[in-house]
Amino acid sequence: MPKKDADVIVIGGGIIGTSIAYQLSKRGKKALVIERNDLCSGTSGACDAYITPHTKKPGFHLALCLESLKLYANMEKELGDDLEYWQRGGFQPCEDELSFQLVSENAKALMAGGLEVKMMDIDEFRRHEPNMSPNLTGALHCPAACQVNPFKLVMSYARNLKKMGSGIMVNTEVRDLLWQDKKVAGVKTGKGDFYADYVVNATGSWGAQIAAMAGLEAPIEPRRGQIIVTEPTSTVINTTMQSGMYLVIKFHPEKITDETMKRLGSGFCIEQTGDGTILIGFTREFAGYDKSTTLEGIEYIVNKACTYLPCLRDMHVIRTFSGFRPYVVDGLPLIGPVEGIPGFIMAAGHEGDGVALSPITGKLVAEMIAGEPVSFNIDAFSPNRFIKQAQQA
Amino acid sequence: MAEANKEILICRCQEVTLAMVEEAIAEGAFSVDGVKKRTRAGMGLCQGKSCERLVAKIIAEKTGQDPADVLPATSRPPVRPVKMGTIEGEMNA
Repeated sequence: MPKKDADVIVIGGGIIGTSIAYQLSKRGKKALVIERNDLCSGTSGACDAYITPHTKKPGFHLALCLESLKLYANMEKELGDDLEYWQRGGFQPCEDELSFQLVSENAKALMAGGLEVKMMDIDEFRRHEPNMSPNLTGALHCPAACQVNPFKLVMSYARNLKKMGSGIMVNTEVRDLLWQDKKVAGVKTGKGDFYADYVVNATGSWGAQIAAMAGLEAPIEPRRGQIIVTEPTSTVINTTMQSGMYLVIKFHPEKITDETMKRLGSGFCIEQTGDGTILIGFTREFAGYDKSTTLEGIEYIVNKACTYLPCLRDMHVIRTFSGFRPYVVDGLPLIGPVEGIPGFIMAAGHEGDGVALSPITGKLVAEMIAGEPVSFNIDAFSPNRFIKQAQQA
Repeated sequence: MAEANKEILICRCQEVTLAMVEEAIAEGAFSVDGVKKRTRAGMGLCQGKSCERLVAKIIAEKTGQDPADVLPATSRPPVRPVKMGTIEGEMNA
């Protein structure tokens, strides 16, 4: 094998790739992040800031998120940077009886999974969030929910991993994988060939293309999320909110009569950033890699937002944007080695959970590669689940 | 880095100085969007209308790129701030 350039090559400089490279560096491994565009330029640069355990599936998914939350609690201190990380809690507001009922049922499953949540009627909810419309039916409250600025987190991971001797190459496109003795041994890029013991695919919404280079059919599809940004303003909301309609859309689409809602996959979610701007979203649409924002999408989000939070009517939209969420059919990311493809590790397909699961994904992949005991059973997230499906089909 | 550069504002909306833009480029930014992600230049009320060209020029100088090749930030609607109530009214009209 030619001389290796790093212990591990991580493809993708987003919130997953830089976390993995940072965690590897902490374990004395030399990582090389190879990014086609710039750090934080794909999904991690066009998303929101939620770390919300109450929107995870009760079971493995929720448990994984709770592990990630523990790591977040110490992250600013560990990285030595302000990440705009706040634990302010989160709400799941409901606009009708059906969503309130589904959210209440889900609350029981979340509590059984070890998460503290509470259902509130509209009066109690409005004592916490006085600007919310009195016409809503209530909300689920999750005190453990947090938010973080993803740009700051990615840049901070990057600074820290470089300090520990790892490297980053931006503006460098991976064109193919390199093989030695039927093992993935490196990457062929526009700037030359690079070799390492392991290659990690952390390319999120583009994860299927890199997986295909390894001969793995990974069912990861880009799902567009449109978001609007308001002018900076004083405090309008104290927490983050994601409406209960997302649960209805996901589990009972047949009960939704609003065709636009169904097509756009759009509920209502909102956060206020450190800068005072308010981010409101978002759609969940399949539109290939078309990154446009659409009049239909924006109007829909605005209309919903004004219904939930009437005071927004007087605020200005200064920008709209959209980003891709790496959608996987069973709602779980692909994390871990792949049967029959030694040297290749998947860490992609987090859909809307990349921010929440960044620290734990980085830690688990780094543990695997460093040969440490893996601190969380990741069988449920193994990419091999799709190989087995394909063989049975 | 010249001390004076800490006083020169490039993005007035977000109060981003020349020194901050230079630091972002030193950290690896090579496009207007890269500087924006690292400093917030161009994220304010005017959405880069006054600073985008300045940022592109600084990137060209510091990285040796041809000014015409420096990637701009993505242009997005709305062109000017619009009241949410106005957009809502359009939808229900």
